[in-house]
Amino acid sequence: MFMALAPLRALAAGWAAIEAEARGQTVYFNAWAGSDTINAYIAWAGSELQSRYGATLNHVKIADTAEVVRRVRDEVAAGKKDGSADLVWINGENFRAMKADRLLFGPFAEALPNFKFVDVEEKPTTRVDFAEPVEGLESPWGMAQLTFFGDGKMFSAYPPQSVGQILQFAGKNPGRVTYPAPPDFHGTTFVKQVLIETIADTAVLARPVTREAFIAAAKPAWAYLDQLHPHLWRGGKQFPRSQAQMKQMFADGELLMAFTFNPNEPANLVASGELPATTVAWQHRNGTIGNTHFVAIPINARARAAAQVAANFLLSPEAQARKADLKVWGDPTVLALAKLDAADQKLFAAASAPGSVAHPAPALPEPHASWVPLIEAAWLERYGA
Amino acid sequence: MDLNLENVAIRLDGMPLIAPFSLDVPAGAIVTLMGPSGSGKSSLLAYIAGDLEPPLEGQGRILLDGAPIDDVAPESRHIGRLFQDDLLFPHLTVGENLMFGLARGPRGEREALMRAALGLAELEGFENRPPHTLSGGQRSRIALFRALLARPAAMLLDEPFAKLDAELKRSMRAYVYAHLKERNIPTLLVTHDREDAPAGGLVLRIGRNGEVKHD
Amino acid sequence: MKRTGLAPLAVLWALPLAASLVAAFSGPAAWPALWQHPQLWPGLALSLWTGTAGLILSLAAALVIVAAVHGTAPWRRLASVSGAFLALPHLAFAIGLGFLIMPAGLVARLIAGGSAPPQWIAAQDPYGISLIACLVLKETPFLIWTMWALLARGDVATALAGQWRSARSLGHGSLSVWLRVWMPQILPRLAEPLAIVWVYGAGVVDMALVIGPTQPPPLAVIAFADLNHADQAINGRGLAGALFLTLVLAAIACLALLAIRLLRPLSRAFLTRGPSPMTLPRAPGMALLAAMALVYAAVLTVLVIMSVAGHWPYPQLLPEHFKPEAWQQLIAAPAPALASLLLAFATTASALGLAILWIETAGESLDRFVGFAAIAALGLPALLIAGGQYRLFLAFGLTGTAAGLYLAHLTFVFAYVFIVLKGPYRAFDPRFRSVALGLDTTRARFWLRIKAPLLKPALLAAGAVGFAVSMAQYVPAQLIAAGRYSTLPMEAVTLASGGNRALTAVFALALALPPGLAFLAAAWFGRPRWGHSWT
Repeated sequence: MFMALAPLRALAAGWAAIEAEARGQTVYFNAWAGSDTINAYIAWAGSELQSRYGATLNHVKIADTAEVVRRVRDEVAAGKKDGSADLVWINGENFRAMKADRLLFGPFAEALPNFKFVDVEEKPTTRVDFAEPVEGLESPWGMAQLTFFGDGKMFSAYPPQSVGQILQFAGKNPGRVTYPAPPDFHGTTFVKQVLIETIADTAVLARPVTREAFIAAAKPAWAYLDQLHPHLWRGGKQFPRSQAQMKQMFADGELLMAFTFNPNEPANLVASGELPATTVAWQHRNGTIGNTHFVAIPINARARAAAQVAANFLLSPEAQARKADLKVWGDPTVLALAKLDAADQKLFAAASAPGSVAHPAPALPEPHASWVPLIEAAWLERYGA
Repeated sequence: MDLNLENVAIRLDGMPLIAPFSLDVPAGAIVTLMGPSGSGKSSLLAYIAGDLEPPLEGQGRILLDGAPIDDVAPESRHIGRLFQDDLLFPHLTVGENLMFGLARGPRGEREALMRAALGLAELEGFENRPPHTLSGGQRSRIALFRALLARPAAMLLDEPFAKLDAELKRSMRAYVYAHLKERNIPTLLVTHDREDAPAGGLVLRIGRNGEVKHD
Repeated sequence: MKRTGLAPLAVLWALPLAASLVAAFSGPAAWPALWQHPQLWPGLALSLWTGTAGLILSLAAALVIVAAVHGTAPWRRLASVSGAFLALPHLAFAIGLGFLIMPAGLVARLIAGGSAPPQWIAAQDPYGISLIACLVLKETPFLIWTMWALLARGDVATALAGQWRSARSLGHGSLSVWLRVWMPQILPRLAEPLAIVWVYGAGVVDMALVIGPTQPPPLAVIAFADLNHADQAINGRGLAGALFLTLVLAAIACLALLAIRLLRPLSRAFLTRGPSPMTLPRAPGMALLAAMALVYAAVLTVLVIMSVAGHWPYPQLLPEHFKPEAWQQLIAAPAPALASLLLAFATTASALGLAILWIETAGESLDRFVGFAAIAALGLPALLIAGGQYRLFLAFGLTGTAAGLYLAHLTFVFAYVFIVLKGPYRAFDPRFRSVALGLDTTRARFWLRIKAPLLKPALLAAGAVGFAVSMAQYVPAQLIAAGRYSTLPMEAVTLASGGNRALTAVFALALALPPGLAFLAAAWFGRPRWGHSWT
């Protein structure tokens, strides 16, 4: 009995110690800052952290998370123990790079008191980030899923429900559809979505890939893109640089549809007046690629205790519910509502808004990370020059 | 070949600086116009050369060999000028400076003319030297021959000796005047130094009220 | 006395720069990966094409404009005009110009109409034409500004005015005087600014990202993306790409110098061919200047509207509604703006001081080393140098400190200040000095009483450029600040990364305002006061 309880008690005692240590610490939270709504949410989290735990959250505004990866790597290489970053908003490639180079503190995530609410069963991407096992080195923060959006007025029937229907739609509206060029993250995701929808057996995508296997598996995807490109913006010879640009081109009326990784971004942009109220958002009927974004603590963080307290607070039902609120940010929660008590569940009462996804589709897992460099290189080879 | 000024006057912001006067500078003659600084004598030369700028303005007719040149562009008036500074072009060699105003033609001929001028300037072999390596007197001589090689129909001298030291001044005066007379070029010299005036030449003076009178 | 100019420059600028370069280039460059990059050669060709076309066209435009305006009434105002042009940050200009010419842009809305944007290949065209247009429109004012700094100087103006009269009395028309007397004297003094324009055009990233070709992009953009990547192996390919671009540029520069030397007999023959009555046509230059002013006014207007625009779909000429949120966001957090201003003042003053101390105490023959270092600092990808600088400062514990931020800014500010100041300052006629020293004046008194007033336009011009450069620093600032400080460009770039046009426009305007004031002040206080006759 005693023996079995000891680790739990140690955990509880350990967490109390961490909270005590966190008091007075300053967490430099390095987070992408390209959205006012997100920045406002982080500011709110900072003020809550201050009043509840006596820790200060300082939002270091970042344009590209790779910047932080390189900064931490350089600091560690220079033997700098008191690093400049305490908490990083991260996932995918950046996480893989930091994990591979042993730049992360932890494992800590699954020891956070609020981790027990995380929907690890239905949302497996909370433990496997782009097919890379998380192993407690980052704490889930929000969910993302490839979501398309367009002006409802432009679709006579239903918006395209598959990449095949996108091809038809583009054929009828030449020059009005496009996607960002890989290796832009959103562009690569679109190509991955094509791969998933055109491949004979999706099972191979979950495994590490060889060059030969890739060539065979990707054949239908290239055939599809070869067909699609002549109907795209500028005949598929030039592509937008980023998702932000594609979004802007849609807002200007140059494109008829665009896509995002945040299912609630269209609704958000409608609310802020950047997109028309007739905007609709949708996901392919058979599902679209989904993933999770996380917060991680660099190995040389100074305020490790406060960083863990912050990560734990960001996982709390209250913080997650506020984040999921369309009026605040609209970032889907990583928690399982069933694991929450009734009062907390109520916090998540979803209100539909113009531009939100009407019929959510299943989230499909990302292909194994080893596919990405091959996809990007092959795309560049075929369409880059 | 002579230079005629008919009722020429200079004004500054509408106020008369030099009152209307007429003057005939015959071929080979050097007429001296004296006046204190600010009296408008340099402006008069600028007017004759065609590059007087507001707020200064001139009036009256200028004739070269009886033909009016008032409407002719400065570069087409064929009026040579020497200034206080030699104004040799620093990016060109001595020889290139000399050839600068030399009419276009076969290269060999032009170079021969340039060498001949170098000889007259007693600077044989200096053609590839940059101007700043020459002494003040040497530079003055190059400036003179650069102007003469352009075959001017008249010459305007604006205190060309003012910056030379006393001894050099004396020898340069004689040298310049001899070459101008030899080529029969009508010349108008402005100066504030009475000694600059060539012996026996006509000397005019700008009075206090801008009138131009015989000295 | 001789060494006093060397020590501070070495400590504050040259040594950190040299060490940063060593650190930057000693990283592992992945050459094989670079050779396999399918976009390497077309990207390199694009870089060279945009850089060279940008240089030739902006030099031609600047010369045509300066020749047309010089000696006319607008000449005195040309500096203020080009200064106002200069103040608009490159990125802001590209965004504004992009919104003018792109298919859904204002020009299309005005002339094409229809319910959907025309399918024009404008902005991000595969030939880099829009990028070149952008470069020319941004670099022409810089060249006009540097020419003005030279030509408006009292002693230079006097000498050139005299040569002008002399040359015309020798039978040369105004165009001939420009081509044969003035240009050969002005152009060598512009060697460094011209080199900067070229290297900048070939290595530009921020404008190219907005308005340049995308498939393939210029090599600099490829290298930038690789250097930015989280994966160290890809960083290596980026380093190789940046190095390769640098080497190619250096090789071409050497070839160009050789060609100039080989062509010298031809140019000498042209200079001394004899008089020609060619007259300078002023209309094209004036028209060009007016057209440029029009484009800038349009870009500025578009940015102002964008800064308060809500949804603004094609083909509407005005947004559906206006919203002040973006401006409120700027005003709500003034700390970054104050930090930027403070840094700009401190680094500009230091850079001017260092440059003057250097020029006054070191021989002219040493200038080319400083000039070369300055060109290296400005021409190499900022990410590369900043990366080296970052590793260096990290080792000295300077990251995240105000001192580190100051030094990081100074690196680029001094380079620009030196390049703008050197030509006009060195062209100062030493005879003034001998005359004044003959009058029994001390060195300091001579500098204050005679030299500084004569050099005022050049000093102010260099200061304004330095100020603008400091205000615009992003990459090095972001790295060195390590999240401990925030400046206006850091705020601007991070907020703009989400593609919010209103925020981007607000920060573009906010970034343009302080340098704009600096340029106008420099133009006003440095305006020529010497009444010369020119024509």
